[in-house]
Amino acid sequence: MVVSFKRLACATALAGLALTTIAAAADIKIGIVAPMTGQLASEGQDMENAVKMAIDAVNAKGGVNGDKITITTADDACDPQQAVTAGSKLVSEGVTAIVGGYCSGAVLPTLKIYGDAGIPFVIIGANSTKLVAANQGNAFLANSTGDMQATTAVELFKKNGYKKFAFVDEGDAYSSDLAKLTAEAFKSAGGEIAAKETTTAGEQDYSAVVTKIKSSGADAVFWTAYHAGGALLTKQLRQAGFQGGIVLGDGNNSPEYLEIAGSAGEGVYLLSPPTVDLLSGAADFKAKYKETYGRDAGAYAALSHDVGDLIVDAITRAKSADQKAIIEALKASDFKGLAGEIKFTNKNTLQTSNFRPVIAKGGKWVAVE
Amino acid sequence: MIDEVRTMPTAVQPQLMRWSVVLPGLAALAAALVLPQFANGYVTEVATTALLYVVLCLGLNIVVGYAGLLDLGYAAFFAVGAYTSGILTAEFGFNFWLTIPVAMAAACVAGIIIGAPTLRLRSDYLAIVTLGFGEIVRIIARNLDITGGASGLIGIERPEIFGFRLMQVQHFYYAFLVLALLTAFVCLSVERSRMGRAWFYVRYDEDAAAGIGINRVTAKLQAYMMGAVIASVAGCLYAAKMTAISPESFTFNQSLLILLGVVLGGIGRIPGVVLGAVLVALLPEVLRGAGTYRPLVTAVALLAIMLFRPNGLWPDKRV
Amino acid sequence: MTLDLLIQQLVNGLIVGSFYALIALGYSMVFGVIKLLNFAHGDIYMNGAFVGLIVFSFVGIWVGNGWLGVVCALLVSMLAVGLLGVIIERFAYRPMRNAPRLSILITALGASMVLNGTALALTGGRHYAFNTDLGFAGVDISTVHITYTQMVLVAASIALMAGMQAFVSRTMYGKAMRAVSIDMGASRLMGIDVDRVIALTFFMGSALAAGGGVMAGAYYGSVHFFMGFIMGLKAFTAAVIGGIGSVPGAMLGGLLLGLLEAFGSSLPFVGSEWRDVFVFGTLILFLVFKPTGLLGRSVVERV
Repeated sequence: MVVSFKRLACATALAGLALTTIAAAADIKIGIVAPMTGQLASEGQDMENAVKMAIDAVNAKGGVNGDKITITTADDACDPQQAVTAGSKLVSEGVTAIVGGYCSGAVLPTLKIYGDAGIPFVIIGANSTKLVAANQGNAFLANSTGDMQATTAVELFKKNGYKKFAFVDEGDAYSSDLAKLTAEAFKSAGGEIAAKETTTAGEQDYSAVVTKIKSSGADAVFWTAYHAGGALLTKQLRQAGFQGGIVLGDGNNSPEYLEIAGSAGEGVYLLSPPTVDLLSGAADFKAKYKETYGRDAGAYAALSHDVGDLIVDAITRAKSADQKAIIEALKASDFKGLAGEIKFTNKNTLQTSNFRPVIAKGGKWVAVE
Repeated sequence: MIDEVRTMPTAVQPQLMRWSVVLPGLAALAAALVLPQFANGYVTEVATTALLYVVLCLGLNIVVGYAGLLDLGYAAFFAVGAYTSGILTAEFGFNFWLTIPVAMAAACVAGIIIGAPTLRLRSDYLAIVTLGFGEIVRIIARNLDITGGASGLIGIERPEIFGFRLMQVQHFYYAFLVLALLTAFVCLSVERSRMGRAWFYVRYDEDAAAGIGINRVTAKLQAYMMGAVIASVAGCLYAAKMTAISPESFTFNQSLLILLGVVLGGIGRIPGVVLGAVLVALLPEVLRGAGTYRPLVTAVALLAIMLFRPNGLWPDKRV
Repeated sequence: MTLDLLIQQLVNGLIVGSFYALIALGYSMVFGVIKLLNFAHGDIYMNGAFVGLIVFSFVGIWVGNGWLGVVCALLVSMLAVGLLGVIIERFAYRPMRNAPRLSILITALGASMVLNGTALALTGGRHYAFNTDLGFAGVDISTVHITYTQMVLVAASIALMAGMQAFVSRTMYGKAMRAVSIDMGASRLMGIDVDRVIALTFFMGSALAAGGGVMAGAYYGSVHFFMGFIMGLKAFTAAVIGGIGSVPGAMLGGLLLGLLEAFGSSLPFVGSEWRDVFVFGTLILFLVFKPTGLLGRSVVERV
């Protein structure tokens, strides 16, 4: 044991040296940080795949400013502590820029690390308003913020004449933040809050919450968490005879939602991120994604692909791999990708919301006119 | 040398200064001291996490290893420390160093509240009580406004010492190294104290311990509180390092991970626990290359260690 | 709380409670014979659901997506996953039988992680739909609607549990099981094939968990690699409430936990976000006053 303990120390030191040498290589290195394991692994793999596709295409055309781009992925498992090690791994490997981030809770403590290192960081999925407050100027939110979603949600509620809402979240940073923001916005727009409920991720039985919602007299339910729970809640609400409207937050756009919810999902509204099915120009991407990875492109695939292109665009305009220049270039972005326009406000959030209200019809998401 | 150790007559012989422990210990310490000079930020970050687990595992070892109480909710005390310190610095502008005694006191109180009525229970029942307590603490942190709800606290102040502010991961590495050494020292001294011997008897045979005049509940409570205090101090430093804490860091899984560290290396003995803690932190990092297979590979490695070394990698040879 | 609401929550609690009871039963049986908190039990439940889904989608081609398909899936899954339980016991737990108890606990944790990690690697974290045409038809008691599926579900789990209880209390093997749980060494001296009894216990416990998994999959309509984690925790809690090691205790504990959760969600003044605080708080208070659970024997412990 004595020996192996020493060997461990040596190995750690050697690993350190090795990593420093790698960082000196000439190529431009882009880091992806996403949940590759854990409950949201499916989303993380989508993000990695889509960014890879974008970068591979750029490399096939000769790279950026004459340099090839290499990619390195770090798994944050949507866990704050793992996110911090994953983040510092990327920083130590000398990445030029970082893209990714799905869970707000895991992204939050990493902002400081990337900020101190001055690395441009484009956040693809995470959109808690706390990210905006903790941003040191180097991070950009390519997804619309919770505030924007709340506004879109309240518009949709009003358009449908819903007056009394029950809000249901999963008790995590993202879903409780969204529920809170929307409830506040809905209240100030004259709506009434019938109930605020929390479920536990990974549970299957929501009957107690369903019963409570029914007896609260709510005419609609807003589910702010992810698709797995959303499908179960929808199914159980309809089975219990709930007739009112059901609206879902942006974490629910997954083919799995429609498969699991089945006929109960008909007529459900969703505030969707820009997915391949809603985007007219994304048919090629969708087909190619399926061909390359053998699975359907998930909710954030299109946006992830865009972010891959966006970072290349910024590096091209910065005319170097200098991180300060790339951050400035990102600030001045005027980018149009599959998912739409990416232009940032002075807080580095999207200028225009990319949320699209859609409705489930015949087992498909269809845009709401 | 080894045979000598094996034939040691009594089970409560204090750990003697043996070269087989001291030498690698010194070598490890020397390596630890110079590590940030050679390693990059990532390696230092992982090493800092390893040191955090060393502190937590040593603390839990007092409860599980010395006193023999199965605790499945140890992360709760880690949370109490982190949140106490985080709230006091971020919301009330306290100096970081002043929050440590407050956090220690809070952990003590929490330890008494949950420990005093339940420490009489059999260990499997105690396991579920501690598990439940861990969940209760996490859910309270998630639901209250003062703890920042599910998103947690942000903007926790970084500590200053003699006009020097701890900023980089290297600084926190050394801070955790100091804390780990301090904890090891405390463990070493209580192991040899009256209290340590009382724990040993309680663990070995509760009834006999009662028979020779040891107050079982007091002894258990002392162990429980000491473990709680250590975790809370680790929590304070953790909060300062992360600057943002959220309930996700204090889940049941976290408690299991700490327990894993205690058992993997060799329960009840400081070098074994340190080794186990380091492994718990390093294993997932070393296996990063496995991608989606990482949890599986980690699990297989763990299972193999347990099957081939049922008493841990560096077990206690005295008992 | 109105009467209707009360009845509805009672029904909710009973349904979820009968799942908990099924899973807790296996937990409790395994604990009874080898004093192990089998952390892998929740993952066995998850594996059961996956095997059930695979079988269901195959036989569905011939027998349709109705009851027959579900029953086929149930039986095959119980058999296959029961064997998986035996394999886990043989390769992970048997070599550890004389190891310190905490090491066995960690081994169980490792086994749980292996099962979970395998499922993650194979499914890529996908959630699978388990769509049946069992329908929502049923009877109405005032505003409370109870579907036939729900009734069958509760009846099936009660039948499984009653069968188990009869097995443990009436048959020779059951007697052997009880003997091993009281004193393994003495049982061996009396000529009981202890290894075989333990293997049998694992088979039955795992088969029950698999049955629970298939029923949950079919009833809720979704299967996922992570579904066993929470269920394992709940089963552990239920087993302890009932008195760990006791078969009827596990059933009672499961039902009680289900009811606690249902009513904990609809407490006046606090929302469902406090449910688990209520549940665990009640549990702790309960154990302080009744330290061996509902039906547990008080055992002198020797670690």
